[in-house]
Amino acid sequence: MALVEINDLTVNFYTEEGVVRAVDDLSYTIERGEKFGVVGESGAGKSVTAMSLMRLIEDPGQIESGEILFKGEDLLEMSEERVRSIRGNEIAMIFQDAQTALNPVYTVGEQISEVIRHHLDYGEREAKERTIRLLDEVGIPEAEARYSDYPHEFSGGMQQRAVIAMALSCDPDLLIADEPTTALDVTIEAKILDQLEDLADEFDTSIQLITHDLGVIAQVCDRVMVMYGGRPVEKAPVEELYYDPKHPYSVGLMSSIPRIGDTRERLQTIPGTMPDLVDVPTGCSFHPRCPYAEEACTRKDPVLVDPETGHEASGDPGEHAAACLEYTGDLTGGLDYTVEVDGEDPQITPGDQRE
Amino acid sequence: MRGLLGGGPPDDVDPFTPDDDDDEYRPQSARSVNSGLLSRWLVPRAIRRWAISLSIETPQAEYELGSAIPFRVTMKNALPIPITLTTRSPVLWAWTVEGLTEASHVDQYDPPDEEGKLHFERGERKQFAGEWSGRFRVTEREWEPADPGEYALGAHVNVDGHEGSLADECVVRLVR
Repeated sequence: MALVEINDLTVNFYTEEGVVRAVDDLSYTIERGEKFGVVGESGAGKSVTAMSLMRLIEDPGQIESGEILFKGEDLLEMSEERVRSIRGNEIAMIFQDAQTALNPVYTVGEQISEVIRHHLDYGEREAKERTIRLLDEVGIPEAEARYSDYPHEFSGGMQQRAVIAMALSCDPDLLIADEPTTALDVTIEAKILDQLEDLADEFDTSIQLITHDLGVIAQVCDRVMVMYGGRPVEKAPVEELYYDPKHPYSVGLMSSIPRIGDTRERLQTIPGTMPDLVDVPTGCSFHPRCPYAEEACTRKDPVLVDPETGHEASGDPGEHAAACLEYTGDLTGGLDYTVEVDGEDPQITPGDQRE
Repeated sequence: MRGLLGGGPPDDVDPFTPDDDDDEYRPQSARSVNSGLLSRWLVPRAIRRWAISLSIETPQAEYELGSAIPFRVTMKNALPIPITLTTRSPVLWAWTVEGLTEASHVDQYDPPDEEGKLHFERGERKQFAGEWSGRFRVTEREWEPADPGEYALGAHVNVDGHEGSLADECVVRLVR
């Protein structure tokens, strides 16, 4: 049994402007000890998916349908009390902005040790000892002295590490990291990602890593799901996604990664922006930005299929699936791009793009 | 000291920590008038409905087949007092093509079984921009382009019996 199994999850926000379908018919699983990446641009539905997993969607948002099975139990059917006992304990989250995740009027140490006292019934001294040990493990220097510091006395990187320590404080089974390194400089980012990996291995924790940075996914994850407009457009083991991307959006994301030694004058980008989720384009929601789009793409919404057979994806953890009409035989022009693997770094060259 | 989660009892004294005595001091900023509630209590339903008007318009009357048709929905509160309309569901308003919500033959939303509130400040005007792709959704995953001809583009507030000022229509012509 998978640790987490999400089936047909749909989350809507009922706003004055209209109904925002933030997550649309989303299904995926995370196995025990697995590092699962969720990637996409801002507005793709990554964070809403994570918030749904913690059952933290607030008004005007509504989880409209689907189920979220955690160790076989549906989180959406649980009492609020039961969810509170799981949240922070069995499922922990590292929020995107550590500064706002920490309470400014409590010391960092107290905030972490309170989680330990609350969930694990530790006494005050044991909780403090465990907190200091955790702060030390995530690389806070002089952890004992820093225990009594307030969040504003920590640098951005240290705040993020403190939030990571808090998330790991109860040995969670699942750690949801929502862009944990977005606000940090690259050297701190690399250190924190290494620490996340090491700590996850040490505690045998599953990680759902949410990011818009494919480089981060490559470094940390086993499997990856690419999201666009609230839906998954490609799911694959991470190496397959890098060496053999199947969806034009994944191709666009990959080809827009800057590389050292790249001789191109301009960085390649995906034209346009994520659609307004109140007014999603008909057919494939990526078609207005897709260089390979045809008339069929405006009329038919593709499902996730096995690119080799064109059969609907089975949902097996190891399978490679993409939601593009190319694989169901609906496109006449095909997808025209090549992947060049230069050393260990694949490079994608688009072919003749159709307008 | 009371803990962050209302849990453990640390023994140090923190001047910023709320305690049970704080409950008797209410924040002063909370003393605002709930105008939505007052509007519902004091203003009769018929007047609330009369006060709000809705209109829909497109920049042009004629569009080429295959092009998207932009539209703008404007709602206005004519009264100098706040007005709140109670809607049938959290879907506050909808646009239609030939009576089909969002030009779809299939139900797209399954909103929770609860009322929604569309609130207007005194004299407030709300504008929402939208776009009809020129296609009809025929199944969950398929769309078909509209044929040449005239189509009624409508919008309404999602209340029972939304005729009158809470609904409007305009006609666009699609030509080859």
